Amino acid sequence: MIARTIERDVSAIVQEAVEKHGAKRDALIPILSDVNKALGYIPAEAFQEVQKQLNAEEEHTYVSKSQLFGLASFYDMLSTKPRGRHVVKFCENAPCHVVGGKSVWDTLSDRLDLKNGETTADKKWTLVTTSCLGLCSVGPVVLIDDDLYGNVTPDQIDEILARYE
Amino acid sequence: MLQITINGKQIEVPEGTTVLRAAEKAGINIPRLCDHKELTPYGGCRLCIVEVQGVRVPMASCTLPVSNGMVVNTETEALKKSRKFILSMLFSERNHFCPFCQVSGGDCELQNAAYHEEMTHWPIQPGWNNFVVDTSHPYFVLDNNRCILCRRCVRACAEMAGNFTLSVAERGAKSLVVADTDVPLGESTCIKCGSCVQVCPTGAIIDKTSAYQMHDKDLTEVKSICTGCSVGCSIKLMVRDNRIIRIEGGWHGSVNHGVLCEHGRYDPMNESRKRITTPLMKKDGKLEPVSWNEALKAVADQLRPLSGQKDGIAAIVSTKLPAETLTAFKDLFAHNEIVTTTEEGMPTASVTKFAEKQGSFEGKLDVLSNADTVLCIGVDAGRTHMVAGFMFKRNMPKGTRLINIDPEENELNDLANLYLKPKAGSDLALILGLQAVIVKEGLGRSPLALPDTDSLIQKAVEETGISRDQLTQTARVLANSITPVILFGKGITAQRDENLVEELYNLAVLVGAVDSERLGLLSLKGEANSLTATLLGLDQIFELNGHKAVFVALGDDYVSRSFVERVSKVSYLVVQASYESKLTAQADVVLPVTVWSEQEGHYINLDGRVQKTQKVFSAPENVRDNLAVLNELATRMNISLESNWKQAILARKSSVALN
Amino acid sequence: MQTKRAMILVSNDPESVRLGANELIQHLTEALIAYDLQDEVEISPLSNVGVSNILPLVAVYPEATVYGPVKAEDARFLVEEHLYKGRIANDLLAPPKHLSGNIGWLRAHKGYNPAEQRIVLERAGRIDPENIEEFIAENGYQALGKALTETTPEQVIETIEKSGLQGRGGAGFPTGRKWKFVRMAKGEKKYIICNADESEPGTFKDRIVLEGDPHTILEAMAIAGYALGADEGYIYIRGEYGLAYRRLQHAIEQAEEYGFLGKDIFETGFNFHIHLHTGAGAYVCGEETALIESIEGKRGEPRARPPYPVTHGLWNKPTLVNNVETLANIPAIIRNGAEWYRSFGTPSSPGTKVYTIMGNVNFTGVIEVPMGITLREVINIYAKGMKPGSILRMAQTGGSSGSIIPASLQDTPMDFESFRKAGVSLGSGALLICDQNTCIVDLVKVLLQFFRFESCGKCTPCRVGTQRAYEIVARISQGQGRLEDLDTLISLGQEMERAANCGLGQTAAVPIRDMLKHFRTETEAHILLGSCPAGKCEMLPEVEHV
Repeated sequence: MIARTIERDVSAIVQEAVEKHGAKRDALIPILSDVNKALGYIPAEAFQEVQKQLNAEEEHTYVSKSQLFGLASFYDMLSTKPRGRHVVKFCENAPCHVVGGKSVWDTLSDRLDLKNGETTADKKWTLVTTSCLGLCSVGPVVLIDDDLYGNVTPDQIDEILARYE
Repeated sequence: MLQITINGKQIEVPEGTTVLRAAEKAGINIPRLCDHKELTPYGGCRLCIVEVQGVRVPMASCTLPVSNGMVVNTETEALKKSRKFILSMLFSERNHFCPFCQVSGGDCELQNAAYHEEMTHWPIQPGWNNFVVDTSHPYFVLDNNRCILCRRCVRACAEMAGNFTLSVAERGAKSLVVADTDVPLGESTCIKCGSCVQVCPTGAIIDKTSAYQMHDKDLTEVKSICTGCSVGCSIKLMVRDNRIIRIEGGWHGSVNHGVLCEHGRYDPMNESRKRITTPLMKKDGKLEPVSWNEALKAVADQLRPLSGQKDGIAAIVSTKLPAETLTAFKDLFAHNEIVTTTEEGMPTASVTKFAEKQGSFEGKLDVLSNADTVLCIGVDAGRTHMVAGFMFKRNMPKGTRLINIDPEENELNDLANLYLKPKAGSDLALILGLQAVIVKEGLGRSPLALPDTDSLIQKAVEETGISRDQLTQTARVLANSITPVILFGKGITAQRDENLVEELYNLAVLVGAVDSERLGLLSLKGEANSLTATLLGLDQIFELNGHKAVFVALGDDYVSRSFVERVSKVSYLVVQASYESKLTAQADVVLPVTVWSEQEGHYINLDGRVQKTQKVFSAPENVRDNLAVLNELATRMNISLESNWKQAILARKSSVALN
Repeated sequence: MQTKRAMILVSNDPESVRLGANELIQHLTEALIAYDLQDEVEISPLSNVGVSNILPLVAVYPEATVYGPVKAEDARFLVEEHLYKGRIANDLLAPPKHLSGNIGWLRAHKGYNPAEQRIVLERAGRIDPENIEEFIAENGYQALGKALTETTPEQVIETIEKSGLQGRGGAGFPTGRKWKFVRMAKGEKKYIICNADESEPGTFKDRIVLEGDPHTILEAMAIAGYALGADEGYIYIRGEYGLAYRRLQHAIEQAEEYGFLGKDIFETGFNFHIHLHTGAGAYVCGEETALIESIEGKRGEPRARPPYPVTHGLWNKPTLVNNVETLANIPAIIRNGAEWYRSFGTPSSPGTKVYTIMGNVNFTGVIEVPMGITLREVINIYAKGMKPGSILRMAQTGGSSGSIIPASLQDTPMDFESFRKAGVSLGSGALLICDQNTCIVDLVKVLLQFFRFESCGKCTPCRVGTQRAYEIVARISQGQGRLEDLDTLISLGQEMERAANCGLGQTAAVPIRDMLKHFRTETEAHILLGSCPAGKCEMLPEVEHV
């Protein structure tokens, strides 16, 4: 149940992340993760800012925009395209599948009227499949923003979705 | 040295050699796609897998270091089967429509590899997904449908040009090559050096200009030197029918190792000026075609009596011409006061002057390869002499830092870790200020006597407009570097003040850029033969004082408007040039001459390397060689041209050792 | 049916019978009646125990205490002591060393599942993970103190080597040997990395340790640092494990406060700092060189090997990469010794393993038992049987690239040797138990989807192979397959195993191999009959092949 404020100053968000994690190469993923968390995704300006702030004298860590983009687009938790206010991630792997995952997915897809990877026109929901979330004994598992739902059945979907603005 | 047996053949290789290179040394060719001899090995295509005794599964030979006593087999039945399968997988991955592709039929390494394995078709159905074709770039097309994700282009952009524009985005089967944050290539940070095109094994990145012109095997290759600037990159020209189809960076080049900048690769292809095809002479205010004999006779008759007279002839030659031509030119006009170049020694005079006192003090380009800090002052290495800029840009991810000092807007400012914008003309104060900070804080590597460091610092702050903090920070960063290099250019040398050069030298010694083991100080000079010209003494400013005649040997060089204004008022103007220009329009006589690819000659690049261009084409019918024209004139003017360029250049001490 | 509070299992295989098992059972029955326990305690025969030198064998549940050899005249003593007075009849206890084969049955702690021996999970769930004092009270940091003050680094490594501990992330490399390689590697600067990227589907054992007992990992890493000569460590934790990250962060702060991390630990001059690093959602980053690339701020593409991380790892320095579960064994081994550790498990795979139970069974979750358990024991004892209406059809053991075995292989002990010997993977210990409603083709399709999504894309065989294999199996599941497809799948699998750059590509085709080896008829039914025997796959209308 996290609302994202996209209007915030990109430069300030990046600065906060850089100050928190440092300006070295091993801070790149944590920095990008923070930016993704604050903005819901990582816009082009953010990559520019990260490059600029890391290259500033003190640490002079040089990393190009293309390397940052290649990095961000590699990892599933980071998005280079805007996402809905609420991101619904459904575990599509075998342990969740074997205990009835497909019917949960069909229900989600039907209720939100979204195919995998799509965002609703009003930008409220994005629906994606994801890989194992590490809760395999209580599958099927659904992750909405930071909220984990286990032992999900199709008839619970409406009530779960209703919790989000 | 380590022993390795490949296919029964035993050889010895130095430690660190990969199995692929060892095989090459043994004369065995292992098929490969992602590997390129000038790029760091990647190990992605897996075509180069070999069987190693004692190891259960095959290993990629391009990334496998040789270990002593290794026994390797490259041609087992299982490996051949694997290679075929890997190639089938590659063909099935994207839309490889060979019939429509211009590299098909010999220039595609993927297709060649398949033929080598005696494949005739694709056994596995592709997925027929559509990928991006990006035609936004002026010079090349990026077609992801033909890409095999070998990452050669990404590595070339990083390791050759140091520009890091290209990368691979997404992962798995969704991977694709992108520019910057996935923007069209034509709108990206690409500097159009063309390194990616040169290394792409398929038709994924293709050169628009040379596409569909002919297969490489049917083109003639000529190795030569680029005359675009004083870096002197080696080039390989692919020619047919008396024209250039494509220019590539020469992998063999000791200066550039295969990389070129946009100017070297594409400017000659974009030549839009009009060629002069016959001698011209002004008659009744209009330039008319005349014969060579008439033109040369007229010029000789005009210039003979003026030769040696005060305010008689002013002779100006382009520094883009070969050493032989420059030497002949000097001899021809030796008796006259004004004999100089179009550059008027701007990039070199003060440097050579200082060398007279100091001896050779400049280093070689390869000192940039292991610099931990590069200070650029009075030079924009992102705009001119770009290949020199590549040499340190590519090390920036490893920690090399860049300090940029330029009163004007500089292309490398965004890249620089520190950049200073001092007021124009305040360089001496700035350099002294930096010295003063270092001496005051005791950070110098060698002693330097500086009176009153406080007032020097104060003066620097006042004259440059740079804050004390910035000055101090810059000085500290420079002084704390272990292998600093100072790179300077026309911004400094155009001030024609050898004291400025000397203080820069003192700064270099102070911070350890210059010591008994390394010379980490170099100037980028200007055009292809700037250094040669200055060594021949052709580096003064010219000022016309009612001179009766001006002779300009321009070759294929450009002229600026101010230059034209300065010389055109004279009563008799002779121009020896290849292309029409505002200058030739003003001339009394125009002598058409060869361009760079039509003549051979020697060039000395900015770090003292003597290289030679090749004559690739014959000149058009009525056009003559630059040197030949001067020789002809000399005969008619009864002047003997005796100097040999090799001796002539030794007349002055070179700022950088010649080899 | 009345539930009894205890059960006595007595071995009655031919050898036990020869040694008097039937008389023993009779005497036990009589003893129970004598103490009026017949309605509370059940006696049951047990065939094929798998041991031969301590027969007859008696096991008492729920404590899973194993007695043997037990003679008929001992029956009364046993019943009186154990079932009446509630004390262990020590004299009759079976010596642990003599138990091998299926399960090493040992005295279990109260509240655990039968035969559980919690080493890795010794504190998880019982202590407050955010309170270092509770950790210390339960032998916390004792091993570190012992290592730093009583043993040399070489001795520490020797202990680990002797214990026979093998990597618990799935690869099973001998831990002591890895430690030795790093110690011997040239260079002043070395790193210790804890691989907490746990992304293998069906595996969340590491999460339990990180969330429930974070200090044990810090202790293990510090011990490793001491033994290998490293002063810096990283814990690479997958981005989705937010709670674990916070608990580790808190634990590090507390440990530094108490002087167990940081400078001059235990006043021995030894320094050790630990950094926390998050992943961002990539299964391939569990591969040790991809993990290192990820820490270095790059795409998680596995490096070319050799050289290996033990000589050229993080920032090209010698680096130890160990899984969470592997590390969680270290303090206990240091405290109790290598011999103690070897007393559990099988000779080739000593120690315990944390198995994860999932699927169509009654109890799903995590158990820690000595190495060598069989699937049958897991289902019947720990998972409390298949769900009502479910019959065991197949099980995938070891994770998504693990073997898919039919019910006929459920008696194979699962350890590091079982894959090589019998084609039954141990892997990460994940056990996905499937009933008759599971279709093998559908399952393999889901597994291949995982691999093609997680493939890093560096090498051709995996990047293209997983994609093509998925497409083929998807087509088969829709009834659009052809028999030639099976040959193509075999070729894809073979070449992926031969030529891929890392374990992901090399093992992604194992499920395909098992599909064709154990379930070929079912697969062919999809192709030849256009039908799914399990009723799971949605067949598309028939396409005419021209």
